[in-house]
Amino acid sequence: MVFLRSEEHLQRWLDENGREPGETLTTAKLNELARRWYWTRLEPDWRPRPLEESQAILDEIGLTGEFWRLA
Amino acid sequence: MRIRNQVYGSFVREGRAPELAHVAAALGLDEEAVAGSYRRLHDAHALVLEPGELRIRMLNPFSVVETPYRVFCDGREWFGNCAWDALAILGALHTDGRVESTCPDCGERLQVEVVGGRVAGGDDPIFHVVVPARHWWDDIVFT
Repeated sequence: MVFLRSEEHLQRWLDENGREPGETLTTAKLNELARRWYWTRLEPDWRPRPLEESQAILDEIGLTGEFWRLA
Repeated sequence: MRIRNQVYGSFVREGRAPELAHVAAALGLDEEAVAGSYRRLHDAHALVLEPGELRIRMLNPFSVVETPYRVFCDGREWFGNCAWDALAILGALHTDGRVESTCPDCGERLQVEVVGGRVAGGDDPIFHVVVPARHWWDDIVFT
């Protein structure tokens, strides 16, 4: 899960490391996801979240499709 | 969850993961009980231990070890486990700040500023995840 300068840098990095491409997000979309995912993590009553709730977060911000299925 | 809260609370206060013995002493527990709890929390993905050890590697979204994802906020500095976790640290702390990383292709510095909870400046990098979601925890350090 990395930041890269641009799509051009991403493609070169994938090629040089022999990796298949995954999914790309804007930083704004990642920020939305990251905040939703971890907003309650430091609260004393935090509990590991059921997988369905994590999937719902991905779905609600538009990260759907096979790549984003948690199980 | 007392142990989990003690570990996270100590990390956020001190900026480093507490020794297992200190957690046990703080909670009046024996070290074996804390060790068992660490293993259960690891299995529940509530923290990540170094392979085969009782040493904490990740208190997601925080990294206990230095990484290329530095987070600056409220006069303090943290390390995220990845690009996602770096921004998540600001979310978990409910604060604004700056993330600094480097592009793994060209090695140049990348910055992201968060103001009012929104990305508000910096180099506008893209985020890429190679591993499909169902395999994230197969090797969380690689992911």
